[in-house]
Amino acid sequence: MTFLLRRAAWIALTLWVVYTVSFLLMRSVPGGPFSSERQVPEAIKRNIEERYRLNDPLWKQYLDNLRLALRGDFGYSFKLGDFSVNDVIYQGFPVSASLGILAITFALAFGLTAGVISAARRNTGWDVLSMALAALGVAVPNFVLASLAIIVFVFWMHLVPAGGWGTLRQLILPALCLSAPVAAYLARLTRAAMLDVLNLDYIRTAYAKGLSERRVVVRHALRGSLLPANSYLGPATAAVLTGSPIIERIFNIPGMGSHFVEAALQRDYTLALGVVMAYTALLLAMNTLVDLSYALIDPRVKME
Amino acid sequence: MSLVALRKAFPYLALAVLAAAVLYATSFGTLTRADLTFNNATEIKTVDPPKATGEPEGRVIEGLYEGLLRRMPASDAPPPTNRTNTPYTPQYATADDMQVSEDGKTYTFHIRESARWSDGTPVTAHDFAWSWMRMLHPETASEYAYQLYYLVGAENYNKAQFEVGSAVEVELADRPKRTQTFPRGTIVLGKLLEIRKPKGDEKTISATTVYVVEVDGSQRFFCRSSSSPVANGKPLEPIVQILPDFESTVGVKAKGEDTLVVTLNNRTPYFPDLVAFYPLYPTNRACIEKYGAPEFTRAENLVTNGPYCIQFRRIRDRVRLVKNPYYWNAEAVKLEVIDAMAISSDVAALNMYETGQIDWTTNVPPTVIPDLGKRCDFYTAPILSVYFYRINCTRPPLDKKEVRQALNMAIDKRKICERIMRAGEQPATNLVPPGLTGYLPPQGLEFNVEKARELLAKAGFPEGHNFPKIEILYNTHETHQAIAEVVQDDWRQNLGINVELRGLEWGTYLDAQNKLEYQVCRAGWNADYADPNTFIDMFVTDGGNNKTGWSNGRYDELVGAAAKETNVERRLSLLREAEEVLIDEQPIMPIAFYMSKEMIRPTLKGHSLNALKVHPLHLMWMERDETSGAAAP
Repeated sequence: MTFLLRRAAWIALTLWVVYTVSFLLMRSVPGGPFSSERQVPEAIKRNIEERYRLNDPLWKQYLDNLRLALRGDFGYSFKLGDFSVNDVIYQGFPVSASLGILAITFALAFGLTAGVISAARRNTGWDVLSMALAALGVAVPNFVLASLAIIVFVFWMHLVPAGGWGTLRQLILPALCLSAPVAAYLARLTRAAMLDVLNLDYIRTAYAKGLSERRVVVRHALRGSLLPANSYLGPATAAVLTGSPIIERIFNIPGMGSHFVEAALQRDYTLALGVVMAYTALLLAMNTLVDLSYALIDPRVKME
Repeated sequence: MSLVALRKAFPYLALAVLAAAVLYATSFGTLTRADLTFNNATEIKTVDPPKATGEPEGRVIEGLYEGLLRRMPASDAPPPTNRTNTPYTPQYATADDMQVSEDGKTYTFHIRESARWSDGTPVTAHDFAWSWMRMLHPETASEYAYQLYYLVGAENYNKAQFEVGSAVEVELADRPKRTQTFPRGTIVLGKLLEIRKPKGDEKTISATTVYVVEVDGSQRFFCRSSSSPVANGKPLEPIVQILPDFESTVGVKAKGEDTLVVTLNNRTPYFPDLVAFYPLYPTNRACIEKYGAPEFTRAENLVTNGPYCIQFRRIRDRVRLVKNPYYWNAEAVKLEVIDAMAISSDVAALNMYETGQIDWTTNVPPTVIPDLGKRCDFYTAPILSVYFYRINCTRPPLDKKEVRQALNMAIDKRKICERIMRAGEQPATNLVPPGLTGYLPPQGLEFNVEKARELLAKAGFPEGHNFPKIEILYNTHETHQAIAEVVQDDWRQNLGINVELRGLEWGTYLDAQNKLEYQVCRAGWNADYADPNTFIDMFVTDGGNNKTGWSNGRYDELVGAAAKETNVERRLSLLREAEEVLIDEQPIMPIAFYMSKEMIRPTLKGHSLNALKVHPLHLMWMERDETSGAAAP
């Protein structure tokens, strides 16, 4: 309980620091949210600035916005004039969440399977093949992978559509591309952990009891070798979050990643700030969950 | 004990959570294909006509709303079958008649009796008068407000400028919703007798100035701040706005339900083009006053008067339009459902076109043009749009005319058009693109290395000696960068000048340009209406879009005279003379005239190429073709 309380305090502090730093960073770069090729008369410009409270002193803008943000209100988007920041996050989050969930599921399925197989069939063709694939997955940037995947699966094989969002078929390819580095890393982690576990005494005991290899690996060794994979889920979420802006752009998916990149490029102060806060909160929550589960499955870890 | 049980159950719990998550991830419904899906290039900023400024916004707004007039092919024009531009001119839309007075200053529009809003109520002349008032109201902050400055009194209303003795409208501080401009508080009309300004900084003055207004024969005292209670023994009344009286000072009036009378400052031959341009389209008063801005633009609230309504908007994905059953000409609208996609990557859009997910893209990446050029579904045509470089005339040595001319003449623009832009763009020597009726653009300086060297030597820099390093600024984009590299190369080789390139992201680039923090910088301009004035009036002294620091008395005079000139031919020749001054002085270097680059599925009909890049959705239809349906994966 104290662990949770202390963690909550840290999360609040981190969120505040992130908010403050992003707020100041965004205000310090040149160019306003209303720069456009057509210059507007001075009187009109003053009006726009008054409307979005850009003409108050900076400290006042900061306090006003912080007070509203605490109530969960991030104001109107500067560039998407018809929507509030909350509208944008409300629409974008489910899109990115479903993409992210599928990506992590694929990563777990492929990464764990490949890791277990290559550890159990150490130094065979299977091992070499899956580890080579894993090395590629870690090394190849996802925009290269995505472009290749589009050529192969869309144009050569006509299996899936080239992009967009709305049907499950459209999600498969981007989710696979997004999952590749995570799957690759998971495979290597699992292989190493599995090899460690397979050398432990209790495994030798299990073999000595006359159990089949399959039973030993699946019933006894797998559990122990999942620990590193479990703790990697926090960083994996981060990887999926940071990877999604590129993937979402290539496949034209209207998720949080697209909104974030566009907001930053277009100086949409309010929207960028809102998305950064949502990302930070999500990441902190995932890490807390992973820590909790870690303590739950590994008896050696105590909550402190 | 329980912890151990939990530990045992954990793998199953985790699996269950994962399964639930996957179920959630795959639960999003499938969307049926629209009759027409096209790429609108970017997420639109708004569907509120006076607040929109871009071309993608225009495509959607022209589907949702309808002005008095609309830019379309003339009804008696031959059907567009070839690959050349069709003339688009203002045609009757919500109005079915327009009378222009002898002096060209008064326009009388008759509103079509069958015109309806999408909630079934009739569209009246009052809707237009109110919409234009809203567009001009300072708190609406419409960037296009200056399109109405041709109306008598409009500029003063928009800038809240008035004098003692003039008619004013005072809005009392009793708005139903404080942060919403509409509905407005109680409006008091009267004659301004006196302005009492206190001492202090600008903010205090604006808050505590007392306005003495004669209302119905008695004096009343108004003030923005309610903290100073009395003046002359009378209580001060708190207000939110004081503006010139719209009814009596601005040149737009509704005479009954169906007649709108517009009075202009000068004869403005292109006024019908402005009326047919989307910022002047009407908005629904009841809807805006009920929900407030921007909530009224939500799909479930929005009331419009055009061929289409919004079914839903998914941010950075699509706007889905469905046919408006109340549209006066609904029988003629053939497409029931249209998706306007916000695909910002040209490559992604091309991929989706190639795999049958979209039927029409409004741009293609220049790198694939040589491959697309042979295909029958790839279309290019000249548009009223120019690519040019601004020169900062306040920075030596660029303040010398010879230097600017030398720089211009040393650029091989044909190379830029052929190797980089690739869609048949024409090298430009002047500002106004060809193709405007009655206007013969002047011939500017051609590519001539010898002459350029001579001019540079004459300016005191023989063979580029002692010429300071120049920087070319552009907004980051592969095409702009490639063009800047060609210019850099030409200047280095032909003139011996050292050139650096600086790419900035859009917002920062515009900011640097506005503040004249550049030496040479890339720019582009689309025609707002089909008249050379839309290009030429940019460069008058201190004009909002001048951004070069250039000022020329003769030029200002000519542009001013053209605005007042009533004879069409003389007006165009005044503008031509002005452009001659411009391309001789060269505060800008024209590079090329743009071409449109579109992929259009052969089954899409009713789409025609035009110089303004206007594509009314309600004129289009899809020809049913079994094979094309099967080809889509």
